Amino acid sequence: MRNFDSPQRSSRVYVFSIFIIVSFLIIVIGFFNLQVIKHHYYLEVSLNNVIRPVKLNPVRGLIFDKNKRILVDNRPSFSVALIPAHVTRQTIRQISDRFRIDEKSIRIKLRRASKFQPVVIARDVPKKQVIYLEENQYFLPGLEVIPDFKRYYPPDVNSPHVFGYIGEVSPEEQKKHPEYDLGDMIGKTGLERYYDLDLRGTKGVRYVRVDASGKILGDYDPQLNEQPIHGSDLYLYMDYNLQKFGESLLEGHRGALVAIDVRNGGIIALVSKPDYDIRSLSGKIDPQIWSNLIKNPNHPLFSRAIQSTYPPGSTYKIVAALAALQEKIITPQWKAFCPGYFRLGRRVIRCWNPNGHGWLDLYGAIKNSCNVYFYQLGLKIGLPVWSKYSKLLGFGKKTGIDLPGEKAGLVPTVAYFNRIYGEHGWTKGNLANLAIGQGELLVTPLQLAQFAMIIANKGLYYEPHLVDHLYNYQTHKVMSFPVKARYVKGIYSEYFDVVREGMHEVVNGGTGWLGKVPGIDMAGKTGTAQNPHGDPHAWFMGFAPYKHPEVAIAVMLENAGSGGGHAAPIARKFLEMYFYHKLIPRPVVKKDSLKTESDLNPIQTVPIDSLRPMPLIH
Amino acid sequence: MQKFLRNFDLGIFLPTLVLIVVGLFAVYSATYLTSSSYFSKQLIYAFLGIVLIISIVLIPYKIIYEFSYLLYVLSLLLLLLVFFMGVKGFGAERWLAIGPLRLQPSEFAKIATVLAVARYLSQNDRSINEWKHLAVVFLMILIPFILIAKQPDLGTSLVFLALIIPMLYMAGISWFFLFVITTPIVTMIVAFNLYAFMGWILLISIVLILARQKGIVKFGVFVMHIAVGAVTPVLWKTLRPYQQQRILTFLQPEKDPRGAGYQIIQSKVAIGSGGVWGKGFLQGSQSHLNFLPAHHTDFIFSVIGEEQGFVGIVLILMVFVFLFLYLLYLSNQVKSSYARLSLVGLMTILLFHTLINIAMTIGLAPVTGLPLPFLSYGGSFLLTSCLLIGITMNFSKNRYHI
Repeated sequence: MRNFDSPQRSSRVYVFSIFIIVSFLIIVIGFFNLQVIKHHYYLEVSLNNVIRPVKLNPVRGLIFDKNKRILVDNRPSFSVALIPAHVTRQTIRQISDRFRIDEKSIRIKLRRASKFQPVVIARDVPKKQVIYLEENQYFLPGLEVIPDFKRYYPPDVNSPHVFGYIGEVSPEEQKKHPEYDLGDMIGKTGLERYYDLDLRGTKGVRYVRVDASGKILGDYDPQLNEQPIHGSDLYLYMDYNLQKFGESLLEGHRGALVAIDVRNGGIIALVSKPDYDIRSLSGKIDPQIWSNLIKNPNHPLFSRAIQSTYPPGSTYKIVAALAALQEKIITPQWKAFCPGYFRLGRRVIRCWNPNGHGWLDLYGAIKNSCNVYFYQLGLKIGLPVWSKYSKLLGFGKKTGIDLPGEKAGLVPTVAYFNRIYGEHGWTKGNLANLAIGQGELLVTPLQLAQFAMIIANKGLYYEPHLVDHLYNYQTHKVMSFPVKARYVKGIYSEYFDVVREGMHEVVNGGTGWLGKVPGIDMAGKTGTAQNPHGDPHAWFMGFAPYKHPEVAIAVMLENAGSGGGHAAPIARKFLEMYFYHKLIPRPVVKKDSLKTESDLNPIQTVPIDSLRPMPLIH
Repeated sequence: MQKFLRNFDLGIFLPTLVLIVVGLFAVYSATYLTSSSYFSKQLIYAFLGIVLIISIVLIPYKIIYEFSYLLYVLSLLLLLLVFFMGVKGFGAERWLAIGPLRLQPSEFAKIATVLAVARYLSQNDRSINEWKHLAVVFLMILIPFILIAKQPDLGTSLVFLALIIPMLYMAGISWFFLFVITTPIVTMIVAFNLYAFMGWILLISIVLILARQKGIVKFGVFVMHIAVGAVTPVLWKTLRPYQQQRILTFLQPEKDPRGAGYQIIQSKVAIGSGGVWGKGFLQGSQSHLNFLPAHHTDFIFSVIGEEQGFVGIVLILMVFVFLFLYLLYLSNQVKSSYARLSLVGLMTILLFHTLINIAMTIGLAPVTGLPLPFLSYGGSFLLTSCLLIGITMNFSKNRYHI
């Protein structure tokens, strides 16, 4: 330590000491000001009045579609709250009678809260009640009527699986997210939940003086009050007219329809049927309606598009084809003979066409969805390679869509089979089944739509998302979300070209010809998935236009029958609306010219005794 | 034994003991209505703390010196560990849970950083007025600062920035260097207003012209200020809205409706209603009725203010001032420059915590979550404070050691 001698040092110690003393003197002056000069004022405040912060509820963010049409809005409503410290037995009894709430449950609710914070007992209270309560507030100490908001949906907006509903925060949720206050309304499902922190806005606060009985005497210091900040508005990527049209197409079915813009992953439509009336879960929830929804065997609360998993059927043959091509197991010209049946060990399994397809190359096998061809292909590929490519193509993991509760589905692997059946408990039959999209394999409709997007873009795909951007009222800025692009590593685009060509033929004279939109060159693949719950599930996936794809679509109808006969026409109608904004009239088709899989003969899977029955909902 | 007692610096120990005892009374008063476990826990920690002080005094001075760097590296590792596997507390701070123990490595890191910086500057006659050494010292402080700010505990991380200036000052940094270090902070703040920025740059230019330095150095400093001023608003805009919000809330906590403003109001009412003589022990109605949140931790001083009044407050503040001035005086007495710089740094940690915490209770400083040394409830912080005091007493015992 050169150049720093003792006297200089001492002078610096001196300066530092002065700094310390002056700092503490300032603090002493601060205490003198509070405790001596303003003592009487604060003493009075502490003795006579209590200062209470009153939370001011912000307006929850709105949800708009692409054309700035309001889909989810708010309307003012009133909540009745009690303040534990000031409430009397009389008040609790009155409220209990008036709103038909158990006195005990009110007491439990009050005990959980801090003493001076109002606890909301009833929401969305009718105007008449509010007027009565406000007139008689003098006789109801501890009661407070709080202005609040409830969700409002314009007529002809429903889509509960997209928007979700809101409800009071539960103690468990509060433990997980300490930023929620007791009694906060938070998103429980759908976009309301996923974007809750954005939508909810920031509470304001007003400091008021209250007397011993909890009555508000006035503002404490208006300068300290904070206005609430409006929650961020969400702007969806979709045009709601198309979403609504998609919903009308599936009316009366159990199923899902997912359409994605392949250029950025934006969701064009996300339909799940049956659904429920979104208004029935807005504001206060009728217990009767709720229990009906829960007990309904069709599970209307479930979003089939993202939360239900199914075997994908023949649509999955494309995965086997890509794996075989990339691993150079076959060339597109490789041919197999379909006599109408397939011999595996001692068993004979039939193709869906009992007359047989004859000699087929890969294009022909995709076009005609020949099971025999793909049984053979599956055995050539082997399970490890098949699992690897399934995962590469986005199956067995969540797509990352901006909705809560998405399911990942299931891609069986060698390890999985060993665990379920034991080291030698599974056979080639399991593998042959998987190759045609049957067996333990489970996918969501969203995953299949994503798969169609991958094929359309030859390996490039985007994370599916409903929300395009949001508008933040605090910064007064539009916040866009980056589009997350992904790439399927290790599958060459020339092999995508092969399966695209095959899928092109599917809609041009193949099993999916009913999915063809007139005037639009497109590609697709049907699927008819056997399942233990009755008729097969009908699948169709596709994309259009063929050369420069814009939209990828997946349609799934539970127990509806053949994919070509039932799912493909729905996809066609949706795409017609997408491209032409109207439906194209069809020439009359004779019934016997239908050429779809199971209209001729239901497909047969390899009969495996140990094939587990698949629960409909996972 | 006699020799031990002669070297046992009562000038540090007695004020510490007084503060710990006052803290125990205050914690008892603040919590006896809710639960007695707070007081008994604090009592055990106080006892452990005093044992810790005595055992640190007994350690050979050489060991502290030799271990400075090791402790620093260790604390960085702990900070990294907490970064990956820390448990989130209620606020922004993170804890490391080892069985039933909950450690806050950032507390420990403050002490370790001071010792490491002191060792670096005292070794081989290094002068702080060389750019190279200054840069190393900055780096040593910047690493824990970033790790803690990322946690994100802005309050604790600011302690790191605060303790560097007194240390460098007492290490003999030249006025020009001090000017170069401190002014960029102002530049960052004024960068959002063009006129303020112009005026500030003008002021800096005048100082630079008057300074007796090489032209190139002056020019470099000037360019640095322009660059900082230009980059800050751009950086600010690249932050996400929630990140901006976090910083704004830190700067103006009373605007946060989540409760900081409410705490300050209630703290002021509690203190103000205490008056000159106070309401008396266990008589503080404001703090007992739970009007005041966190009254046993961050707002313990409000409880004391209400119950002991202005007289009690001034007495306690005098104990604090005595302790700080004594440590400063001691730093001028010790022979080795390592002990001298360490003493300044350690004292600054306590000083900064005390000033910010007390100023917060009367609304003069933002609510940062910095506890009050020796008085606030909390075992981890009490033990680190005692560790710190033990080290200073060790230096006092070995004051003639070179």
